[in-house]
Amino acid sequence: MATVVELPRLTDTMEEGVIAKWRVAVGDKVKRGQVIAEIETDKATMEFESFDAGIVLKLIAPEGETMQLGAPIAVLGKAGEDPEAALAKRGGGASAPAAPAPAPAKAAASAPSAVPALAPVAAPAPAPAAPSAPAAPAPSEANSDRIPASPLARRLAREHGLELASIPGSGPHGRVIKADVLAAAQAASASPAAAKAAVQAAGAASEVDENGRPYATFPNRQVKLTPMRKTIARRMTESKREIPHINLTIPIHMDRVSKLRNELNESLNGIKISFNDFLILAVAKALRIHPRVNGAYTPEGLVEYGDVHVGVAVAVDGGLVVPVVRHADQKTIKRISLDTRDLGKRAKDKTLRPEEMSGSTFTVSNLGMFGIEAFTAVVNPGEGAILAVGAISDEVVVEAGQMVIRKVMRCTLCSDHRLFDGADNARFLATLKKLLEAPMTLFA
Amino acid sequence: MPEIQIRHAIRDAMREEMERDDRVFLVGEEVGYYNGAYKCSEGLLDLFGERRVIDAPIAETGFAGVGIGAAMCGLRPIVEFMTFNFSAVAFDQILNNAAKIHHMTNGQFSVPIVFRGPNAAAHMLGSTHSQAFEPFYAHVPGLIVIAVATAYDAKGLLKSAIRDPNPVVFLESELMYSVKGEVPEEEYLIPIGVADTKRAGDDVTVITWGQGVPVALKAAELAAAEGIECDVIDLRTLRPLDTEAVLESVRRTNRAVVLFHGWPYGGVGGEIIARIQEMAFDHLDAPVLRVCYEDVPMPYAENLEHLVLPTPERGLEAIREVAYRR
Amino acid sequence: MTTPTDPTSADPGNFDAYFQSREDTLRWYREMLRIRRFEELAARSYTRGKISGFLHLYIGQEAIAVATKEVLQPADRVVSAYRTHGFALALGSDPRACMAELYGKATGLVAGVGGSMHFFDRAHQLWGGYAIVGNHSPVAAGHAFASKYLKDGGVTLCFLGDGALAIGPTHEGWTLAGLWKLPIVYVVENNRYSMGTPLSRSVPVDDITLKAPGYGMISDRFRVTSVAETAERLGAIVKRAREESKPALVELITYRFRGHSMSDPGKYRGKEEVEEWRRWDPLERTYRALHEHHGLSEDELEALDAEVVDEMEAAVEFAEESPVPEPEARFRNITIES
Repeated sequence: MATVVELPRLTDTMEEGVIAKWRVAVGDKVKRGQVIAEIETDKATMEFESFDAGIVLKLIAPEGETMQLGAPIAVLGKAGEDPEAALAKRGGGASAPAAPAPAPAKAAASAPSAVPALAPVAAPAPAPAAPSAPAAPAPSEANSDRIPASPLARRLAREHGLELASIPGSGPHGRVIKADVLAAAQAASASPAAAKAAVQAAGAASEVDENGRPYATFPNRQVKLTPMRKTIARRMTESKREIPHINLTIPIHMDRVSKLRNELNESLNGIKISFNDFLILAVAKALRIHPRVNGAYTPEGLVEYGDVHVGVAVAVDGGLVVPVVRHADQKTIKRISLDTRDLGKRAKDKTLRPEEMSGSTFTVSNLGMFGIEAFTAVVNPGEGAILAVGAISDEVVVEAGQMVIRKVMRCTLCSDHRLFDGADNARFLATLKKLLEAPMTLFA
Repeated sequence: MPEIQIRHAIRDAMREEMERDDRVFLVGEEVGYYNGAYKCSEGLLDLFGERRVIDAPIAETGFAGVGIGAAMCGLRPIVEFMTFNFSAVAFDQILNNAAKIHHMTNGQFSVPIVFRGPNAAAHMLGSTHSQAFEPFYAHVPGLIVIAVATAYDAKGLLKSAIRDPNPVVFLESELMYSVKGEVPEEEYLIPIGVADTKRAGDDVTVITWGQGVPVALKAAELAAAEGIECDVIDLRTLRPLDTEAVLESVRRTNRAVVLFHGWPYGGVGGEIIARIQEMAFDHLDAPVLRVCYEDVPMPYAENLEHLVLPTPERGLEAIREVAYRR
Repeated sequence: MTTPTDPTSADPGNFDAYFQSREDTLRWYREMLRIRRFEELAARSYTRGKISGFLHLYIGQEAIAVATKEVLQPADRVVSAYRTHGFALALGSDPRACMAELYGKATGLVAGVGGSMHFFDRAHQLWGGYAIVGNHSPVAAGHAFASKYLKDGGVTLCFLGDGALAIGPTHEGWTLAGLWKLPIVYVVENNRYSMGTPLSRSVPVDDITLKAPGYGMISDRFRVTSVAETAERLGAIVKRAREESKPALVELITYRFRGHSMSDPGKYRGKEEVEEWRRWDPLERTYRALHEHHGLSEDELEALDAEVVDEMEAAVEFAEESPVPEPEARFRNITIES
């Protein structure tokens, strides 16, 4: 019996995924453990190693299409086996795109002799083993740039001024069909955004410059959400809805860190320790001193995490990921530096493994490189606080009645008010400031 | 209106045209003394005699060619093939002579002839006797190709075919000769090249002809029970094709299934789909599907034959699929 | 005692009874010469790239076409294979239209859609022009069927080469002609070669008329050495076919001096063989009859030749100057709007 390969859960938070690229084609022989696809999850693009062996009988999921976890993406089996039989036995449609569109009939298992969706003729497909029979074609919608849609749906979308990409397709392979466009058109006409667009469109004609020439107007562009974007949106919304944030900012003088950093970088051949590395180490030490900050609020009670794993927010193409420096409190500055560099690079390459992006107990988000003085961040659900770090800049400060120039960095601790009150946070920030302004204590 | 069998509608058409026009004659195997292998010429020999109802030996190339030669001289031959499978041995006559002479002679000659007989699979006749010939003939410029499914259409179109100045391939069905249908007593003609809607609906267009028509109608009935209303278009003439009738329906339903007796590869079904995508592309909401023979020689065994043939159930599956009701 | 027309005769003789009439001999000579000069000029145009496709020449067989014209009555029909130029010219087709057809011009015999192999000229009783070997045999039977059906008194003369003897449609036509007693004469122009294959390797018997009884056909068989004798013997058979409504099979032994078509160098036969057959060439024999028996001088004959050449050069000029068919022409005559 052929095996239906399902979209695997490759990260703990993954709920849907995209086949970024198939590494096998129909007819290929697959060994257990062989990479068969690259799957884009909410966190990264990951290689998917097959759990099964066999001949690829069918690739169901088109590249670029969002699929729900567990959706059938391919069928493996023996040469000549009918992939449809395995799919029919499994029940459900041949494809299960993640589109939330209602598809009442789809789930109902159809007759065992279900006509293969891709067969050129509504007759049972010829046995793939027959030499003259062409190999089952890959879904024509496999091109990731191409949105599968019926010609009619394309025309209707054009006429209604709707972006195909924004319309969930309920047809085979997520194909956008007439019904989907009409539903989207109806929804759009009821939504405020559409109303605004309509007003814009209506007003556009009357908008002219001083010479009476109409301003050029350009259509709105809608971009399909990536899984990462969706995850960020969902989690940030959840955080802001659930967590009452409290934000406190403290200036920290980094002159001594700067000096120590220079000395270290001179002595450590080839390794460049960053301010952020110091910050991570200091945060980790401070978290040991204030264990409640290394925790989270749950309805059952407060959790203080035993280990200190510091997440480091890294901006990547299309969003951000948070690789984790595990056991940061026990690591040397050199180790931390090597870890962050490696994690950061692989975050940008989207080659992080899921376990490297999960389990953080506290997060540091640094926008100093963009010259941001101070900002507030949103607490990651599952954590109690996040440290938003601004740029280090030379500032004039008054010390003992004298104006002196100091390297000042502003850190904002954004935290879950259900866990802490302002004074708790202030104490954590004070410890952090103390550690960084006397950095040798970090190595005590 | 009286109900008569298709075979009698065909006979009546030939009888009326032979009565009307002395130039019309019938030639073929067993058409005279035997009264026709399928009794389509029953009684004609008695009425018209050996001059006009001519038994031919088994020589399809010979009597097809004689028909063509006679037609060039102004006669109006009806050439009966006992089955269209036997027309294969006369293919060169139809392809190179009947279809080309008007063109090749710059219009000096025409070939007003009808080649008629049963087409496509009957029941358990094996691969050489179960073939559908419309793709072969509809492929050829210069020929008219007609396929009928009701007594009314058979009579009206055969009379038009006999009067037509062009060579006409007129496809009947062995399985349907005894199917009865209403035929008016007064004379009527049905124009060549005009499709007929056999059942109206707005959800899915089902395009069919000949022996496919009853299958398509049954499939449409099954679909209606599921709430899918089919527009069943009987093309009746395959060349020239009533493209506008197909397009009008597809523009309304946005989806189509072509159901026919015959192989899928390079056939009339493919031609119809090509025209739909070419001329109604922006009206399509689903790929157009074919329900037809499987791409295999027809097996004799009953169970295998049944698997190869288009059935109402397979028609229904395709209808559901294009309607996204799976 | 054999005569020159006896297929076994070794002596072509000189001036037999068939050249007695000076007037007829001169007329036949001129008709044969017209065909030969037409084809020689067509061959020249072919080598100049003015004519393409297949060009099958009739050179050596002209007497048959001219004799056919002699025996024809108005209701009769001539159906031939693809070596048709000779019949068209002999039956009266305009050589300008014939040449223009070879040139693929709008002024051609069938407006440039047919070419060399598809000559039809209904007004001059030429009913084709068939290029698929043997497939005109049943069609010609159909013409004869119509003659019988309509009682128009016509006989159909269906010409085929010895190369058409193996293929099925030939025999289906013969069968129905015999079975239905149709007024048709099948004439096998046995020019000894089916393209490059000699008769001995394509037909099981040397005497083709041995086949006739099996189809209920009367028959005749002779060598073509003059228009007169060919016309006389062919005429006798046509008369029987007409009067008795009976099919007939005639084998005419003849020779083409050119290859099968322009692209055929004819290497499969020796020079000696061709030279031997030239002794029997009806055109050559007729020339000698006119010169030696009827006293026409070489100059007179040369002047006649020049006249014919002028006519055919004019045909070439006409063809070259004629317009090509207009683009819309390709849509014409495919089906008839009823």
